[in-house]
Amino acid sequence: MALTTASAQVVPEHPGRRSPAARKRRGSGSGRHREGVAGYVFLSPWLLGLMGITAIPMLLSLYLSFTDYSVFSTWEDVEWIGLENYVTMFTNDPSFVRSVLVTLVYALVMVPLKLAAALAVALLLNRAWRGVGLFRGLFYLPSLLGGSVALALVWSALFAGDGAVNEFLSFFGITGKAWVNDPDYALGTLIILGIWQFGAPMVIFLAGLKQVPVELYEAASVDGASPWRQFWHVTMPMLSPVLFFNLVLETIRGFQSFTSAFVISNGNGGPVDSTLLYTLYLYKRGFTEFDMGYASALAWVFLLAIGILTVVLFSTGRFWVHYADGEDR
Amino acid sequence: MHPATHPENALSARSHRTPGYGRVLRGLAATAVALPLIFGAAACGNDDGGSSDPNAPVELSVFWWGDDSRAETTKKVLAAYHDAHPNVTFVSTFQGNQGYLDKLSTQAAGGNAPDIFQLDDNMLSELAERKVTLDLTPYVEDKSLDLTKFPESLAKYGVVEEKQAGVALAENTPGLIYNKTKLAELGVAEPATGITWEAFIAWAKDVSTKSGGRLPGTMDPSADYKALWVWLRQQGKEFYNGKELGFTAEDLTAWFELWKGARDSGATPTADVIHEGNSSDASKQLVVTGKAATSWVWSNQLSALSKSTKDQLGLMAYPGDPKGQWARASMYWSGSAKTKHPDVVADVINYFVNDAAAAKTLGIERGITPNLDLRKEVEATLTDVNQKTSLTFETEITPKFGAAPTPPPKGHAAVRTLLVTIAETVQYGKATPAQAAQDFITQAKSKLA
Repeated sequence: MALTTASAQVVPEHPGRRSPAARKRRGSGSGRHREGVAGYVFLSPWLLGLMGITAIPMLLSLYLSFTDYSVFSTWEDVEWIGLENYVTMFTNDPSFVRSVLVTLVYALVMVPLKLAAALAVALLLNRAWRGVGLFRGLFYLPSLLGGSVALALVWSALFAGDGAVNEFLSFFGITGKAWVNDPDYALGTLIILGIWQFGAPMVIFLAGLKQVPVELYEAASVDGASPWRQFWHVTMPMLSPVLFFNLVLETIRGFQSFTSAFVISNGNGGPVDSTLLYTLYLYKRGFTEFDMGYASALAWVFLLAIGILTVVLFSTGRFWVHYADGEDR
Repeated sequence: MHPATHPENALSARSHRTPGYGRVLRGLAATAVALPLIFGAAACGNDDGGSSDPNAPVELSVFWWGDDSRAETTKKVLAAYHDAHPNVTFVSTFQGNQGYLDKLSTQAAGGNAPDIFQLDDNMLSELAERKVTLDLTPYVEDKSLDLTKFPESLAKYGVVEEKQAGVALAENTPGLIYNKTKLAELGVAEPATGITWEAFIAWAKDVSTKSGGRLPGTMDPSADYKALWVWLRQQGKEFYNGKELGFTAEDLTAWFELWKGARDSGATPTADVIHEGNSSDASKQLVVTGKAATSWVWSNQLSALSKSTKDQLGLMAYPGDPKGQWARASMYWSGSAKTKHPDVVADVINYFVNDAAAAKTLGIERGITPNLDLRKEVEATLTDVNQKTSLTFETEITPKFGAAPTPPPKGHAAVRTLLVTIAETVQYGKATPAQAAQDFITQAKSKLA
């Protein structure tokens, strides 16, 4: 949505834009009704999917979070235990606390660095070089592979005690760590893997940069502003809606990371729970320990936490996100 | 079988009432026709437990984990069964170990578990206590699923809550696999079954010293539940006492201390290398990757591990009195409690464990043949020297076995991964043995509750 606002000021108003309103004025009541029914009919595949695949299972998991439910239980065996899962989680589950800490460190370190990397590369690639398209493609590549298991496997091989990274370091006389096998460094390795996949926010930054009106830079140069000042006083404010969009999206994504930790730690969150991301802990409880009820409770706490975090981010947005078209949001 | 008997009974009953010659003849003729029917049905009855129509088409789904070679032999046996019983067809699926249980549990949750599936003792109670597995007890009792040729403790090791939840497809025992080639190069004598734990650690330290620290003597098994279990049994304890832990924090502290001493003396590699070895993946075992001279694995894995290294490997029992060991099922076949053809399921399982041709096809890839009579026949067909060693090892240790414990209870999967995490806190020096042991006991109790 931030994107549309950014583009609205540059793209001239489309002549056809007024027509839906006009049509609405013309349409009679019954026609409108028929249109509404037709709308729902066209919507139905999606609506059925939403109900069947998302809404109903979600509500079911909310119910299950108040029960002692294993994957194998039949409906008769599901035992209602009230808030017990939630109480255990907050009072008597060291692994829960551990996984929250690991996830916070992971997301709070990874997301800002990833956005910084994405912005820096986007600024470099925003110039009219020969072959810049190729570079854009290359930098985007890791994101395409992002969720893939193969990439995480390669990563764990690179960062093993006798992996390529340590071999490279040994050229400079540095004795590397055991990285993924060392509880003090394993999470750092995951964070680097996360940062490396900055392609998606980079592309969005690039699009945002293209929308900054050239006149603003021209005016700034006339006033004698240095490139640095231009960056802070023209680029950043104009880009802030895009930055905000990326920040929200990447934060949510960061908290939801799973694949790399799962693959690198063999599904165990090791060594010594150092890579026990929240989602991995949830998976472990649900699928290797069969506590589906407890895992459902974990999922709902997670949903609430991410929701609250997003609300907080939005409320800070008022203070630093600049919408050039002056629309009050 | 019963429908076939009825016409014959009816006819002979009538022939008693009216003893006309022609009727007697007709009765005899009917009997002559009926008898093969009866025997035929009875013969089929042995095979599929006498379902109403023995020739009705039956389709069974079969699911296991393993590699391609396991898939090949398993499918061969299924095909042979199909040849003998053309009405029974199989839909077989297999995959790697990782994710196997996820898939099985999801299918079971949806009420469509495969008719026959492979389990091991880490999962057996987990599924049996939740009534996912078929109760095979009646078939074992009427010997249509014949376990009389099994070592008694091996048959019992498939019993959960007094029900036969699984039938051992193969037997194996924890085994230490060591690198013969490297030991010969270093001039260190090979260790032998019966060595004490202390002597074994001293031996491992000797290997480390003689190799100048390049080859630590042994992997540190303190995170390995099976090593801990054998050690506990030798102390007169058990890993589980019914559905509770069979040992105390003091026992576990002593176990952690034992291996802390070994690590400090240099008998084992460092914690990060041990972490690699804590993976259950055969190709990552330190004896294969050359990062330790000994790995703590299973007796039937000698052949599999040998494929990943050029060096020659040797096999011995875990240290201490072999009485701590027992005839353990390496894997089971279990049936689904919801199968529509329980009789056929039992018969297929029976075929896998009691048919000579099937046993020879399967070889000892999953572990040693469970049927003692067939074990000798299979032995004669083995050509791989490592497989022969595994089998000889198992034969020699069998008379020394102690009584089998019950299979681990529900919650074992969680306890097992907990032990890895907790033992690693000691290995990385993040906790003292006593602290870690206390943490383990507290958390394990909630996992078993």
